Amino acid sequence: MAGRMLGRAGRCAFLTVVGIACLGPVAWVLLSSFKTQPQVFGRGNLIPSPFSLEGYKALFTQIDVVGYLLNTLLYAAGGTVGALGAGLLAAYPSARMRFPLRRGLTVMFSLGLAIPIAGLIVPEFVIVRELGLFNSRPGLVVFYSAMWFPLAFVILRAYLAGLPPSIEEAAALDGATYFQLLGRVVLPLARPGLATAGVLVFINVWNDFLFNLLLAPSTEYQNVQVGLALFRGQFKTDIAAILAGTTVMMIIPVVTFVLLQRHVIAGLTAGASR
Amino acid sequence: MRLEAPTRGMGLGIALSLVPGAALFTVFFLVPVGVVVATSLSDWSPIGSAFTGLENYRLLLADDAFWMALRNTALFAVAALFIQVPVGVAVAIILSQRIRGWRVLRTVYFLPNVVSGAALALVYLTFYNPRYGLLNQALGAIGVDSSRDWLFDVDTALPAVAATWVFTAGVVMILVMAEIAAIPAEVYDAALVDGASGWQRARYVTLPLLRDVIGVCAILVLLFTLAYFDGVYIMTGGGPADQTLTLSLYAFQQYSESNWGYANAIGALLIALGAIVIVAVRRVFRIGQRDF
Repeated sequence: MAGRMLGRAGRCAFLTVVGIACLGPVAWVLLSSFKTQPQVFGRGNLIPSPFSLEGYKALFTQIDVVGYLLNTLLYAAGGTVGALGAGLLAAYPSARMRFPLRRGLTVMFSLGLAIPIAGLIVPEFVIVRELGLFNSRPGLVVFYSAMWFPLAFVILRAYLAGLPPSIEEAAALDGATYFQLLGRVVLPLARPGLATAGVLVFINVWNDFLFNLLLAPSTEYQNVQVGLALFRGQFKTDIAAILAGTTVMMIIPVVTFVLLQRHVIAGLTAGASR
Repeated sequence: MRLEAPTRGMGLGIALSLVPGAALFTVFFLVPVGVVVATSLSDWSPIGSAFTGLENYRLLLADDAFWMALRNTALFAVAALFIQVPVGVAVAIILSQRIRGWRVLRTVYFLPNVVSGAALALVYLTFYNPRYGLLNQALGAIGVDSSRDWLFDVDTALPAVAATWVFTAGVVMILVMAEIAAIPAEVYDAALVDGASGWQRARYVTLPLLRDVIGVCAILVLLFTLAYFDGVYIMTGGGPADQTLTLSLYAFQQYSESNWGYANAIGALLIALGAIVIVAVRRVFRIGQRDF
C-alpha cells in the first residue's frame, strides 16, 4: 500500500517536473507579454499587474505584423493545398491500383520524409532561382508544396488503404473513368485523411523559418517567424514588444492544434508507421 | 468486356495522377540530393565551379569548426536518445493508465511541439537573459545569486541550448500512447494472474511490446537533431566560440559565405548520416521482426 502511494506521488512529481521543464518558459513569456517594460525588469512578479497591452501596441505600430501574418497565411494555405493535391493524386493509385513501378514509387516518396532537407539548402536555392521563383510568394508556395508532399502522401496512402474498396468497385463497374472515380467517390471518402494531413502540413509551413529565410528573404515576403525573429535584433531594448511578438508567433499553431488535435494525433500515428 | 474498358482507360489516368507529385519530388528532392553529392566534389561558388575531387572532404577533416559542429550534433543526438525518448515513453506509460485528466495532460505535453522553433528560440533568449530572465530570477528567489549569461557562457551554452527542446516529449508520447492502446487486454490479464505489480507490468509486459515504436521514435528524434537549425541560428548563431554550432547551421554559414561546394560536402554528410540513422536504428531495434 505504501509502495503504491509512493508510486503515485512519484508519477505526479515526474509529470510536474517534465511539464514545467517543457512548458514553463513558454507560459512565462505568454504572461510577461502583458507586462509593461518596468514590470518585465521588476523581480518577483510572475503575474502582470495591471495587465498591459503596451508591448502589443508597440509591436503593431513599429512593424508590419499584419503583413507578416498575411504572408504566413498565404504560404501555409497554399502549401497545404499543393501538398494535399499532389499527395492525394499520388496516394490513390499507390494505395489501390496495380501499375508498374508502384512499389518503387511508394518507397521513394515515403523516403522523402527521412531526408534531412537542411542539407539541401544550396541546390534548393539555386533551383528556385533558376525557375525564376526566388524572392516571390508563388515560389515559396511551390516549394512548401514539394517539401510537405511526402508527408501528405504517406498519411493519405495509409488512410485510403484502410477504406473498404467496395464503393469504388461498384462505381468502376458502372463505367466511371479514373478521374470520375477519384473526384466523385474517393475525394469525399478521403476527407478525414485530408483533414489530418492538412493540419500537420499547415502547422509545419506556418512555423517554417529556414526556407523563408533562404528562398524569399526580402522584408515584404517574410513570414511571421522570420519577420519577428529578425525584428528582435533591431529593437533589442523594447522587451515588452519582443515578448508580444513571441506570443503572436505561437498563437495560430497553438489554437489550430487545440481545436483540431484529434487530427494531429491521427496523422502522427499514421505518418510514423512507415 | 465491361471490366476491360475502365481498366484500359485508367492507365492514362493513373499516369497523369502521378505527374504532380513525381514532378515536385524530382525537382525538390531527387535533383537536389544529386546536386549536393556531385558538387560536394567541386569548388562551387556563385561565380563558377571547378572539379576538385575529394578536396572539400579533406578540408573538412582539418576544419576545427566542422569537428565542433559534428561533436555538438552528436551530443544533441545523445541527449535526444537518452533523455527525450525515455521521458516521452515514461509520460506515455503514465498517461496510458488513464489517470485523472489524462486527455488535458496529453494536450499540454504536446503544446511545445506545435510552437515554432523560432518562437521557442525567442522564449529561451528571454528565459536565459541575465538581467530579466526567469532562470536567474528563480535562482535568486532560492538564494543563489546568479548573473550568468547562460547562452553566451562557454561552460553552459551547449546544455542551455539542449534544454530548450530535450524535454519536449510530445511526438514520442503520442506514438507510444497509440501503441499501448493497441496492446490487447488479455496480455495484461495473464500478467495479473501471475501476480505482477504495476511496475512489473510496465517493465516486463508493456516495454518489450513497445520496442518497434521506440525504434521509430529514435529515428524521428535523430533526424530532428540532424536538421536542428532555427534554435541555434536565432539564439546563439553557433557561438560562443562554436560551442553550439550544429552541422545544419554550419552548412548554412558556408552557403552564406558563398562556399557552396563546401556547404554541400556538409550537406552530403547530413544526408548520409540520415540514411545511417535509419538503417542502424532499424537494425538495433530489430524493427519489423518478432521474437516469438
